Amino acid sequence: MPDLLKRIGAPVLFGLLALVAVITMVSDRRSLAEGGRDLPWWQAVMLEIAVPVQDVVAAPVDGIRGLWSDYVALRDVRSENQRLRSRLAELEEANLQYREALVASGHLQQIAAMRDDFEIPMLPSEVVGLDVMPWFRSVLVDRGRAHGVRAGNPVITAEGVVGLVTATSRHAAKTMLLLDRQSAIDGIVQRSRARGIVRGRGTDQLAFEFVVRGGDVKVGDIVITSGLGGVYPKGLRIGEVEELLDPAGGLLQTASLRPGVDFGRLEQVFVMLRRGPTMDLLYENEARAPVESAKLRPPRQPSS
Amino acid sequence: MKRGLALLGLGVVALVVQGALATLVVPPWCPDLALLVLIGIGLRWDGIAGGLLLAACLGYATDLLSGSLLGQHSLLNLLAFTGTGVVARQLNLRGSWPLAFFAVAVTFLYGLAMLALSGFFVGGAELRLAWLGSQAVHALISGACAPSVSALVGWVSGWVDDDPGNRVLGFGAVRRSA
Repeated sequence: MPDLLKRIGAPVLFGLLALVAVITMVSDRRSLAEGGRDLPWWQAVMLEIAVPVQDVVAAPVDGIRGLWSDYVALRDVRSENQRLRSRLAELEEANLQYREALVASGHLQQIAAMRDDFEIPMLPSEVVGLDVMPWFRSVLVDRGRAHGVRAGNPVITAEGVVGLVTATSRHAAKTMLLLDRQSAIDGIVQRSRARGIVRGRGTDQLAFEFVVRGGDVKVGDIVITSGLGGVYPKGLRIGEVEELLDPAGGLLQTASLRPGVDFGRLEQVFVMLRRGPTMDLLYENEARAPVESAKLRPPRQPSS
Repeated sequence: MKRGLALLGLGVVALVVQGALATLVVPPWCPDLALLVLIGIGLRWDGIAGGLLLAACLGYATDLLSGSLLGQHSLLNLLAFTGTGVVARQLNLRGSWPLAFFAVAVTFLYGLAMLALSGFFVGGAELRLAWLGSQAVHALISGACAPSVSALVGWVSGWVDDDPGNRVLGFGAVRRSA
């Protein structure tokens, strides 16, 4: 082997390796555009090694952090309890009013149908590692092909959309977060139904690009998934409009969104074991693995 | 061969530890351990060809644990390894300070090159002041860790050296020879 390398010569080897790297980049870009891929065994080995080791490395520190947060939480629990009780009373009252309004307008049946559509088997997973590089935003979760996870499955929490599974091994899956520069999903403003594209910026905020004409977007508006991208179901919370970046701009206007999910404290996520119609078309020939998870009901769809 | 595999293993361990550290420390404050291992290898590897292969493999491993495109780190690792080899022939990087400064420069340039590559293949990459600031912090933290990581690479490299003449002697060996 060393003789062979010497015979080839360093410049030729450099050129060959660089060429292979460029080719794999192009092909990986293509597979990402198609919603990700299930890794072959020789690539999956890395994820299989990383998950248990990262779990072990992170465990003691997680324990200390948990103890500290429990202590802090206990200190504030009384005032928090009172605040939550009064908030609950307010919400119950508001809920009653909404129900009355919905029944009156005959929308309740539609809501029930939407909820049934939304009953997708979901798999609870633990985040065991963040992206090893600061320039990308992805996480490693401890569920893989053996649990029914496939590339293209959406990942959510109770707070909203987390991202999309882009690569899977047998017991692990790499998930591209919404914050990643490569991420883009179709969203609508819950209040005004204005449509746009939510893009990751590689920072802790998202960009919501929408067409100005008829685009009624205000600070504080909630942006949800539109379901039109064919990947995420409709009605999942993406984030809240924090700032309108170019109010006097051209055709396209951009708003800065604060994600609904706190990505800094991401621990448990749910993998939706269903790919949207777009993903199903891309993977229609692939046999589906048995799903081992129980059906969990996701957060309620926001009403229109 | 054995030395190459051991250093590749060290690189992979560095990656895994880096991934676990990232859950505790904000990303810019987490040192780029895998790149530091690569720099350490670049300072010690004799033949360029084998080192290039090692750098490429380590790059692919990084790509698999990162959100980057497969091949992105591999390509940059090739450049970083070659650059380290070339600079180490011109300058003395054995001391802690020169090595730390060199690691700061390589980490910073590596980040810039990564942004450029991402912009070319994916789009949406903008060079912002905030990004440069966080990249500078990342480079400084990595630079501070460079001497210790390089020493670790040296120790592993000596421990499993294929040439017995270069092998590191443990305390037991010293006692026996005495």
